[in-house]
Amino acid sequence: MLQHSRLSAGPRQIRFMTAGSVDDGKSTLIGRLLLDSGVLMRDQAASIHDNNPEGLAELTDGLEAERAQGITIDVAYRYFETPEASFLIADAPGHEQYTRNMVTAASNSDVAVIVIDATGVRSGLLKPQTRRHAAIAALMGLDLIVAVNKMDLLGWSEERFRDVETAFGDLAASLKIGAVTCVPISARSGANVVFAGAAPWWRGSTLTEVINQSRAPRAQTERALRIPVQAVLRDVQTRYYAGRVEQGAVRPGDQVVIGPRRQAATVATVRVGGRSVPAAKAGAAVTIEFTGEHDVTRGDVIASADVDYVRTFAADLCWLDEAPLVKGRRYVLRQGTLETQALIEEISFIHDIADFSRSAAASALALNDIARVRIATRDPVLADLYADSVGTGAFALFDPQSNQTCGAGMIWEVFP
Amino acid sequence: MRPAHKFDDALMAGAGVLNEAPAAARLARLEAEAIYILRELSLFVRPALLFSGGKDSAVLLHLAMKAFAPVKPPFKLLHVDTGHNFAEVLSFRDTRAKETGLPLIVRSVEDSIRRGSVQVAEDASRNAAQAVTLLEAQQEFEFDALIGGARRDEEKARAKERVFSHRDTFGSWRPRAQRPELWGLYNGRLGVGEHMRVFPLSNWTEADVWRYIAQEAIALPSLYYAHPRNVIRRDGLLFPVTELTPAAEGDAIEHVSVRFRTVGDVTCTCPVESEARTPEEVLTETLAATVSERGATRMDDRANAAAMERRKIEGYF
Repeated sequence: MLQHSRLSAGPRQIRFMTAGSVDDGKSTLIGRLLLDSGVLMRDQAASIHDNNPEGLAELTDGLEAERAQGITIDVAYRYFETPEASFLIADAPGHEQYTRNMVTAASNSDVAVIVIDATGVRSGLLKPQTRRHAAIAALMGLDLIVAVNKMDLLGWSEERFRDVETAFGDLAASLKIGAVTCVPISARSGANVVFAGAAPWWRGSTLTEVINQSRAPRAQTERALRIPVQAVLRDVQTRYYAGRVEQGAVRPGDQVVIGPRRQAATVATVRVGGRSVPAAKAGAAVTIEFTGEHDVTRGDVIASADVDYVRTFAADLCWLDEAPLVKGRRYVLRQGTLETQALIEEISFIHDIADFSRSAAASALALNDIARVRIATRDPVLADLYADSVGTGAFALFDPQSNQTCGAGMIWEVFP
Repeated sequence: MRPAHKFDDALMAGAGVLNEAPAAARLARLEAEAIYILRELSLFVRPALLFSGGKDSAVLLHLAMKAFAPVKPPFKLLHVDTGHNFAEVLSFRDTRAKETGLPLIVRSVEDSIRRGSVQVAEDASRNAAQAVTLLEAQQEFEFDALIGGARRDEEKARAKERVFSHRDTFGSWRPRAQRPELWGLYNGRLGVGEHMRVFPLSNWTEADVWRYIAQEAIALPSLYYAHPRNVIRRDGLLFPVTELTPAAEGDAIEHVSVRFRTVGDVTCTCPVESEARTPEEVLTETLAATVSERGATRMDDRANAAAMERRKIEGYF
């Protein structure tokens, strides 16, 4: 078993998820990662006898219904540390009916490890759910890594591995993403997961090495300032505005504009944890005080001067609710800390997951549909594109009757 | 094109309040995330923070004070007293509440037993019974959000739970019907009689909690540090000898140096052998531990793989 000092976790935190079709081995892979990294506690590893794959999957399948059926229903979050990095793993379900939980995991991850059962790939055809997960992960901007699993059942055939590699390469090309690293593994035996072995022809890295090398999130400091206001804190005489710096940096003396009304203001103080600081950068939870009086509420954004607000935009939308989306119905849209009403004006097309063709315009969306839509909002929203800023370019839709979170949206284009 | 990511690890340390050490950068990210979640409580009308005096709730209260500084957090503290608490933890609870100036509400399982809403065997653990008293308090004060210090690394069912965990009119967690939780865009919408459980420490591990206690010099009940105590060894666990849990005939009582990893119900919480007297020493032991926090200390979770899930469905936090 690999031993290392868990005192010395690396500074990078890598948030990754496993994705892919049911029974391709996602939960088994995470069990294997935890077991072979030597991070499992004795009582947690007690369920694994002689490396039985069922025991490996049960490390993360924490619900009774999951253990009874041998499937994953909802995301399990697991943590481990190595000298290189610390990891937050989201074990997402594969079943189509639980795609909403896969989308949840993807929105909180930087990297998606797509697990493919190599024995199930026939004449270059990937399973629909593999394609769906790859499409969602790509759409949401995650880096993709492919774990080609169950290679032991194919006698570690290089030819079969290359078939999968080619099939996924075609998929990546149609998703318009660059080269994706494929690694042949056996989650069941552990070969090529944490430790190398089994395939004499394989010269590449193990899966954990590839994950470790995944690109660090891009630095956010050089971008324009965005602080969605979460709460207004009132002292006897002073108002403080609490929020998280989504991107950019803020310092006392900065000239900013606030909210859709574009009030100009000067930052007087910046506090982190109640203490004044000379500057705060992306990720920091801050409290801002302005010089002079301003009218600011939750949902407003403190931004740099060059900001636009719009009431109509196009977006990619994953529909996550069993109740269909109905064109013309009002939903609650949340972007940053803003909640406003939204109307789906047009469903421009639905992405066909099988061949990535676009359907004709539609009037409704069903569970798990991914579509391009045009949305109109009651209040102006900050005009950031998802590709530029997750913090302000992503949004969620809530159903005003059932209160369900029914849609995951990414702003694609804004209309003046 | 890869979209911009929300966090920038290296820069968190550049906020001017922390040094550049890796652990500090990691803690800064977890702290900022927890504070962001605590500030989302402005989505609710009557939130309360569950404060027992234990280490996770002490960390949570510390974070809440930071999140709303220089103003006081806009919520009350609530403790469900099982009647099986360590006296030292209760006095710590009261002292800490006074220091923060936040109102402390205590509701006790004993009262629920008197009312008849809870029925437990004389010597049974009252851990599960807490759920009833908790829901009674939630309804009495019409709390629409209860903030707890639960972490996903504690247990397999916890690892499945959302940060904003919706509870129906029965206070029940419905694991198969959880709301998607996207990009930290939390959904705080509730129907009549429903409430939300909110877990700002979801992404923290036991080691992170101890790192943070050390970094921020957070006060804790002294039970968390090594002290001599009479115990009995049984099933690989150490059972404390207390008024509530006296030794049986024939038990071999030993006097050993122990500390508690959790300080819940006296009747079902076991200490571990330890010489650690500071947060740093506890952290070192935590990182070297070979048994998980619950595995080492909790009798009630050992009975059944789904014990926690079932209790949560009944309203346990």
